[in-house]
Amino acid sequence: MIRRRFPWLSYLLVVSGAVLTMVPFLDMVMTSFKGPGESGTLPYRFLPKAFDLSNYRAAVEQLDLPVLFRNSVVATAVITGSVLVTSSLAGYALAKLRFPGRDFVFRLVLSTMMFPPFLFFIPHFLILVHWPLAGGNDLFGRGGAGLTVSIVALTMPFLVNGFGIFLMRQFMVSIPDEVLEAARIDGAGEFAVWWRIVVPQTKPVVVTLGLLTFVDAWNEYIWALLVSTADPDVMTLPVGIQLLQDYVDPSRTMPIVMAGLVLSILPVLIVFLLLQKYYIRGVMLSGLK
Amino acid sequence: MTPARRPGAAGGLSRRHFALALPSALLASGCAAPHRGTGRPGDPIELTLLSHYASGELKQALQGPVDEWNATHDRVKVRTKAVEFTDLLTTFMVRQAAGQGADILHPYCLWNGQLVRAGVLRPAPPEHAEEIGRGYGEAAVRAASVGGEVYGYPTEVQTYALYYNKRLLRAAGLDGPPGTWRELEEAARRTARRDRYGNTLVQGFGLSTYDDSTTVGQTLALLNSAGGRFVSADGRSTAIDSAAGRAVFGLEHRLVVTGASAPGVNVYKAFPSGQVAMVISAGWWTGSLKELMGAGYRDVGVAPVPVPEADGRRATLSTGFMLGVNAASEHPREAWEFLRWLNTEKVGVQGAGRGAAATRMSALQVSVGSLTGRADDMRTLLSGGGDPNLRPFLEALAYAVPEPNVPGAQQAKSLLRKNIEALWTGQRSVDEALRTTRRQVDQEVSRSW
Amino acid sequence: MVNTLAPETAGQADRGIRYAGPTAAGHRGRARRRQTAVAYLFLAPTLLFFAVFLFLPLGFALLLSMSRWTGFDLGDIEPVGVDNFAGLFADGSTFLTPVLTNTLLYALGTVALALTGSVLVATCIDKLRFQGLWRTLYFLPIVTTVVAVGNVWKYMYEPGGLVNGVLNALGIGSVAFLQDPGTALPSVVVVQAWASVGTAILVLTAGLKSIPGSYYEAAALDGAGPVTVFLRITLPLLRPSLLFVCVTQFLTGLQSFALIIVMTKGGPGDATAVAALEMYRQAFSYGDWGIASAAAFVLFLVVLVVTLLQLLLFRRKGEDA
Repeated sequence: MIRRRFPWLSYLLVVSGAVLTMVPFLDMVMTSFKGPGESGTLPYRFLPKAFDLSNYRAAVEQLDLPVLFRNSVVATAVITGSVLVTSSLAGYALAKLRFPGRDFVFRLVLSTMMFPPFLFFIPHFLILVHWPLAGGNDLFGRGGAGLTVSIVALTMPFLVNGFGIFLMRQFMVSIPDEVLEAARIDGAGEFAVWWRIVVPQTKPVVVTLGLLTFVDAWNEYIWALLVSTADPDVMTLPVGIQLLQDYVDPSRTMPIVMAGLVLSILPVLIVFLLLQKYYIRGVMLSGLK
Repeated sequence: MTPARRPGAAGGLSRRHFALALPSALLASGCAAPHRGTGRPGDPIELTLLSHYASGELKQALQGPVDEWNATHDRVKVRTKAVEFTDLLTTFMVRQAAGQGADILHPYCLWNGQLVRAGVLRPAPPEHAEEIGRGYGEAAVRAASVGGEVYGYPTEVQTYALYYNKRLLRAAGLDGPPGTWRELEEAARRTARRDRYGNTLVQGFGLSTYDDSTTVGQTLALLNSAGGRFVSADGRSTAIDSAAGRAVFGLEHRLVVTGASAPGVNVYKAFPSGQVAMVISAGWWTGSLKELMGAGYRDVGVAPVPVPEADGRRATLSTGFMLGVNAASEHPREAWEFLRWLNTEKVGVQGAGRGAAATRMSALQVSVGSLTGRADDMRTLLSGGGDPNLRPFLEALAYAVPEPNVPGAQQAKSLLRKNIEALWTGQRSVDEALRTTRRQVDQEVSRSW
Repeated sequence: MVNTLAPETAGQADRGIRYAGPTAAGHRGRARRRQTAVAYLFLAPTLLFFAVFLFLPLGFALLLSMSRWTGFDLGDIEPVGVDNFAGLFADGSTFLTPVLTNTLLYALGTVALALTGSVLVATCIDKLRFQGLWRTLYFLPIVTTVVAVGNVWKYMYEPGGLVNGVLNALGIGSVAFLQDPGTALPSVVVVQAWASVGTAILVLTAGLKSIPGSYYEAAALDGAGPVTVFLRITLPLLRPSLLFVCVTQFLTGLQSFALIIVMTKGGPGDATAVAALEMYRQAFSYGDWGIASAAAFVLFLVVLVVTLLQLLLFRRKGEDA
């Protein structure tokens, strides 16, 4: 493309848009350092008077951060692991194995992507409550609390992801068949073929899908809110941060909430900044189908 | 299954087994949840009590009697759990659906209809029902009953009265608080102030969309004082589309339009800061105001809710909470016993004269600036001086009309609130607001079984 | 898995020339069966999951939408036919207005803002250096939790917050964005759009990069200005990416309510009450699971119709071009 002059207009637009994107985060960080009475009153001041950490300390005291953090990490890790494994297995089957009903199953997987999540909140909750032989339930799922008392409840609706299967399958289709045939002739079973040949070749997709799933799982709010209402012991970090809103001293609430938020987005932010190349590629890939 | 001669077979085997074992492990960890319920009759029992006394002095006030019970009782222990009030109803329903409902619940009486219909609350046993009927005022007992049956011990009772800032009224040339609606409008007009940007500096009468109580509470208080009612006697439709209802809506509409009220302002912050001259609110606020205003609390006075015409019959709104027992509780007898100990057993009271006694719950509520439905306890506890501002609330117990608690009452209240807000922001006229409220509330309440 | 293949092929190689037909077919048959078994084994977790967590819930939700139930005892489910649906559209019901209208406005507003913003920004980024840096910056809101986004913006919208600070500096009076029913919904729409622009930019960038440079060269030779190039070449060729962004953003806009729960909880009044939030509240606060399920299905229908409409519209425009 011939660029004849310096793209002033483009720079203006992009930079002002970027500023618009960054300013709320900067406000969040600045507010997290403000003292009582400095925020929420007119006239508005951007910078805090001093950069002390008392709000951070209060946030950490008010919340049980280690537990919240642990719950979030465990739930996210389980979901990410499960999605990666199931997507890879299913994607391989759909891409490289020949069997009756393959097209039907593939279309089935595609169709699962069109159901909106809110349709399932109620039934999923009930299924977990009445899970047989869990949390005090009998064989028919009556009497107890089901799986809602354990951290498993946070993960169950998300363990398998149609989009992940789709992504894997599209990628795996391009793996040359000869390599797989060679391995089979050498005496490898399908599982070994999958594990030793296909999986290493899918590393970029694995990282991408893993990242996408990780971020989505970490940020999941509504389902976590529901499960946490039933059992506060399995509360995740995003839900827990909202508890800061009820801090006793109303003049310090907002700064403390901001401090809590900064703490809660740091992990994802760091992971994202380290691996952003893959994440971005993944999003771009999904749009090119 | 796999012959060992294949390359990496051992690794493949263990990996596949791991992949299959993972879901089973997930399920097993779910099974490891603690088993509820006890075995034999002599086993220690732990009762859970779920309320909204989650922090600060409310939490401490409840913990006092609970600790006393736990110290003096070996077999039955009580454990308190709490969430914030805005989450309380959802927490009741969700935990019940999850099979984890608490043994003892502390619901807001507005929800009793819904909770009874859903089978969450169990009726009080006859001896307890009788004791409740005898010991508490009519408004409190009605609030804790659904369909004529009593479902729990009334605890906190809130009545609504008029808070006013003596300094602001005096500065506007008024001798005292208004007694009729006309005086109210006049006083509001004279005490209101705005700056040149149009921002309100001082409201004459605090109308605030902040929460249910500031929106609907004071509207219902005024409605009741005008002789109107929100829900009809049979509980199946609304009765707000009446002359009284029109009068109330008209009054509020005029206050907003003339600039005497600014509904966007949070009145809970503005009144202590001296930015509101008068507010109709509930009795619990005295405690919070005392804390927030410190020495400035001197300027706060309380008067009964003004009546439309002089010499009109007084009425106001009462809302409240109660302690009831879960229908799914495995230890109802022990739970009711605890409730009787907490709510009806009289214990000595310091500083109220020799031999003065009141129930633990009464003492608890008064210590946090609230009232209970036990008039005798209230007189005892408030006799030794104390805050004179609490007196109008105590007197109002005699003529307050309880908030309706039919099934669907919470939704009806939300609908009323939305229509009041639409009225205040000018989106709907008085007639439209009344009509819409009637249509919507009728639809909601009649649907309930 | 037992390896039956290797010995067989070794043995049949001797006889293969004379018995190529049937034994080869037999060999293929065995291989096919083996692949089928393995395939279904690999698919087992997925299929099991979909059975338990997709089809079973769908059926149950359908059942619930035609029953009355408070959610505690499975034996209490009471079938009522289409009463719930009738209740949703009855005279005093708030479902059609304002709940569904709010939902549609919310989705429409979000898509309009996010789409225009992202198209402009993506096209401009394409002309600059450090493109990766810009894209990462725009992508940051996506990575932060909805709780963070919601709370930050809620604070910014407050009378003492940044937005009003800027307005006051410009001489305009403060606006209570989230407390005023007139401005509450647009305010939330802005936040949702702000949070979605990043993904849209990435998808559109992928689309932009796939437009062959020859088009632009030809346009430059013809002396076309940047605006003409944009309207006549870039936009039409971006159609597939635009469609993708449009459909996904609409899906999100119609069904997401986490942001609304964090920022306004549906208030003030009914101003930001959207269908999914109503569904959540009816089920989990008021214990009316029947109506909640009915509302969910109605919303699902709306989502389907809107999505199909978009696909139809884009296809027709494509045919015209």
